[in-house]
Amino acid sequence: MEILKCEGVRKIYGSGSNQVTALDGIDLTVSKGEFTAIVGASGSGKSTLLHILGSVDKPTEGKVVIDGTDLLKLNQTQAAIFRRRKVGLVYQFYNLIPTLTVRKNILMPLILDKKKPNQEYFEKIVSTLGISDKLEALPNQLSGGQQQRTAIARALIYRPALLLADEPAGNLDQKNSREIMDMLKLSNRNLNQTIILITHDEKAALEAERVITIEDGRILSDVRRR
Amino acid sequence: MWKDYSAGYIKNNRSSGMSVIIAAFISALLLSLLCGLFYNLWKYEVERIELEEGAWQSRMIGGFDGEDIETVRNFAHVKDAVVNDREAEGQETALDLYFDRMDYVLEDTARIAEHMGILPEMVTYNYPLLAMYLVRSSRDTAPRLLFPMFLFILVLASLSLIVVIHNSFAVSMNARLHQFGILSSIGATPKQIRTCLLQEAAALCAVPVLLGNLLGIAGSMVLIHLSNVLLGSDIPGRHPAVFGYHPLVLGVTLSATVFTIWVSAWLPARKLGRCTPLEAIKNTGELQLKRRRSSRILFLLFGMEGELAGNALKAQSRALRTASLSLVLSFTAFTVMQCFFATSDISTRETYFERYQDVWDIMVTVRDVQADAFAKTGRIKELPGVESAIVYQKAAAKRIVTEEEMSEDMKSFGGFSHASGNEAVHTDGGWLINAPVVILDDLSFLDYCGQLGIEPQLDGAVILNQIRDVTNLDFRHPEYMPYIREENSTSILRQRGREEMAAEIPVLAYTETVPALREEYATLDYYELVHFVPASLWKEIRGQTGGAGEDISICVLGREDATLEELNLLQEEIEGIIAESYTVESENRIQERQTNEKQIQGMKAVFGSLCVLLAVIGIGNVFSNTLGFVRQRKREFARYLSVGVTPEGIRRMFCIEALVIAGRPVLTALPVAVFTVGAMLKMSYLGAGEFLAEAPVVPIGVFMLAILGSVALAYYLGWRNMQRINLAEVLRDDTMM
Repeated sequence: MEILKCEGVRKIYGSGSNQVTALDGIDLTVSKGEFTAIVGASGSGKSTLLHILGSVDKPTEGKVVIDGTDLLKLNQTQAAIFRRRKVGLVYQFYNLIPTLTVRKNILMPLILDKKKPNQEYFEKIVSTLGISDKLEALPNQLSGGQQQRTAIARALIYRPALLLADEPAGNLDQKNSREIMDMLKLSNRNLNQTIILITHDEKAALEAERVITIEDGRILSDVRRR
Repeated sequence: MWKDYSAGYIKNNRSSGMSVIIAAFISALLLSLLCGLFYNLWKYEVERIELEEGAWQSRMIGGFDGEDIETVRNFAHVKDAVVNDREAEGQETALDLYFDRMDYVLEDTARIAEHMGILPEMVTYNYPLLAMYLVRSSRDTAPRLLFPMFLFILVLASLSLIVVIHNSFAVSMNARLHQFGILSSIGATPKQIRTCLLQEAAALCAVPVLLGNLLGIAGSMVLIHLSNVLLGSDIPGRHPAVFGYHPLVLGVTLSATVFTIWVSAWLPARKLGRCTPLEAIKNTGELQLKRRRSSRILFLLFGMEGELAGNALKAQSRALRTASLSLVLSFTAFTVMQCFFATSDISTRETYFERYQDVWDIMVTVRDVQADAFAKTGRIKELPGVESAIVYQKAAAKRIVTEEEMSEDMKSFGGFSHASGNEAVHTDGGWLINAPVVILDDLSFLDYCGQLGIEPQLDGAVILNQIRDVTNLDFRHPEYMPYIREENSTSILRQRGREEMAAEIPVLAYTETVPALREEYATLDYYELVHFVPASLWKEIRGQTGGAGEDISICVLGREDATLEELNLLQEEIEGIIAESYTVESENRIQERQTNEKQIQGMKAVFGSLCVLLAVIGIGNVFSNTLGFVRQRKREFARYLSVGVTPEGIRRMFCIEALVIAGRPVLTALPVAVFTVGAMLKMSYLGAGEFLAEAPVVPIGVFMLAILGSVALAYYLGWRNMQRINLAEVLRDDTMM
């Protein structure tokens, strides 16, 4: 079942002589439950693609449909609600709210929707991610790995159609990096979560079942490993 | 979101909301003070009108009997109908009407008048009183601007406060832009972010708004009390103001405050709500320069630290806009105000107090009496402690000055060619000019003759024969010259408006010496030819010349070096003698000077307080900014430290920033003050030396040092907080990123 479809996506920044083409005609389809890695060098356009898929940015041209929603037709409010319910974003630098406890950081998408959490699912996530005993701590009281697990838990709490992870292990040591990748695989396998992992680390990309390579804003290769 | 995000944020970050709390408090205080003062001004004006005109709302004059009056009383909305004997005309009765509600007065009075068969022209309204309740009639053409002016001032105050305080909200909100970016990226809508910010603003402002309102009420109470203490009963006809407050005033004040604060919070909240998550999430909260700027002067003066401080100030320009604006405005206003009062003080002293200090001690005005009929002169002159007492009255008359009569000096500057139609009218016989008559009591006139060295006699006039060079506008240093040739032995005084009625009187002397009275001659109309005549002569000619006023004045000179207590006693004695038969008002020189000083001190206190309040807003903004340094500038300073800038260097940067913030108002105010003082000196024909000798250096210096001290303290606290920063921690900290 197709969950993501991009057709002829272009993104151009600036104007005149300062014009930079970040994405140049991206065509991409992702099925439900797939774990896809997008790799490319710095400046290849992979983060721009992630921002467009996460509806925090809009393409200059083309069409992006996620779980039946055409992202270009969304206004600011609709895009925010879409992000809240359909997409989970995990950044390299965690982006947790420093004044809220881990529990509230994780529950924030539900709180914004005035919804009560499914306690069983919440506990499953936090125990799977190994942060059950840190729920009342503040982000700055956690290690980098624990902060990133919190960010993943927050991204998963709404059971999104798509989890987008931008260099989730880029700021972590090897051990924590390994653990985070295992978490992502676990959620893909156990929760049938569709994941798109953005990374420049080819070794990390090999954890995914499909690897797409981007260069100069174009898809260079698309390899299914199994 | 409130319960889960905002409440916790406010609770754990009390200092970050401080500038918002201060801004809300100051807004509430100012608006409450303004509304409280206006309400009391309005109340005082209503009381004054009721005391002077009466509390009636409309009046009908006609033939009313008891039954008619009862009928009027039975009309709906009529509270009472009272017969006014003083306003009755002949056989007709004047009936004053009082209504339950002001908005029915115009409509119902017309209806009652029609019912009672009273002609519309026999109906009058107490328009000044009705206007105080915003009830206006098309027949009342007077402007009555109190209410419209207040509404204008209130709107202006609210808008000014929005301009000044919205930045406090913006700074506090922008500091969390990154957090809102995170919230937005996980699905918070612009409306949710905006609502969250407004809820926070409401929570932060609730207590300061209430406190500010209460203090504003207390402040207006103190100011009303102060006005009574400062002005008291020194001003004739002034009744003491009694403080009052109405729930409606509280309603208006709270509405104005809530509106002002809501708009101030809504402006940045709307902007922040519209910010895309990508923009917001990239924001690190650091101060950035939008384009390359250099601080050459600061670099030349203080080296690299100067350049860094200058750039930092430019990057903070938005955050410091409130501070810059209010400090510059307050210091400039304070400086100009002090210079204005200093100039005005010199001018008043030279033109009034010093000029007349040897002329009068007590001035008495006696109502409804003519100089020749006043019978108490002898008793006043005989009072112990009275050196001299001149009873005089002024009358308006006309006189013709012929071409031949004009002096050569007068002709040399063009004769009457500069005179306006009100001052001199060309007739067949010559120029018809104003000839004010000063009627002196006989004894004083005889003394005046002796003073001039002529034979004392009561059958003629003394003419003040001088005219100013009208081409020289310097009133402080006028040049006088003879007005007419001193050839005619008689002068013909004519009645104003009926010039054919005239009286010819002998001229005893032409002089340039005036009797010792607190009077100025030919100040508004340079072409006046003043005649001094004795009361006995006036009695003979007043039928022909007319024009005398209804009151007389008595200029009393007491013992030299008399104290205020002595003058007060003498004043009481004189009033006692006159009040037996006449209506009397009086003032004494020392009391008048003290009252004048009190009034100026009062005005200085009020304007000065406003300047201080304005400065407090600016200083509050500087404090909120420096207390937010740890959050806002720690990365900037960590970077400086990491590249080798010493803590001493950063301290120097702080000193330079403080100096620039406190110095800017001085540098701005200086040219404004020089220009304003120059204009004031030119208008009042005072010399720069005279002003410099009494320039208000001390109060301006104290105000400047207070600003400098406060800014320095704010930066010291910021510096103390910055010293707690752990360099390594800041450079690797990314929980805020």
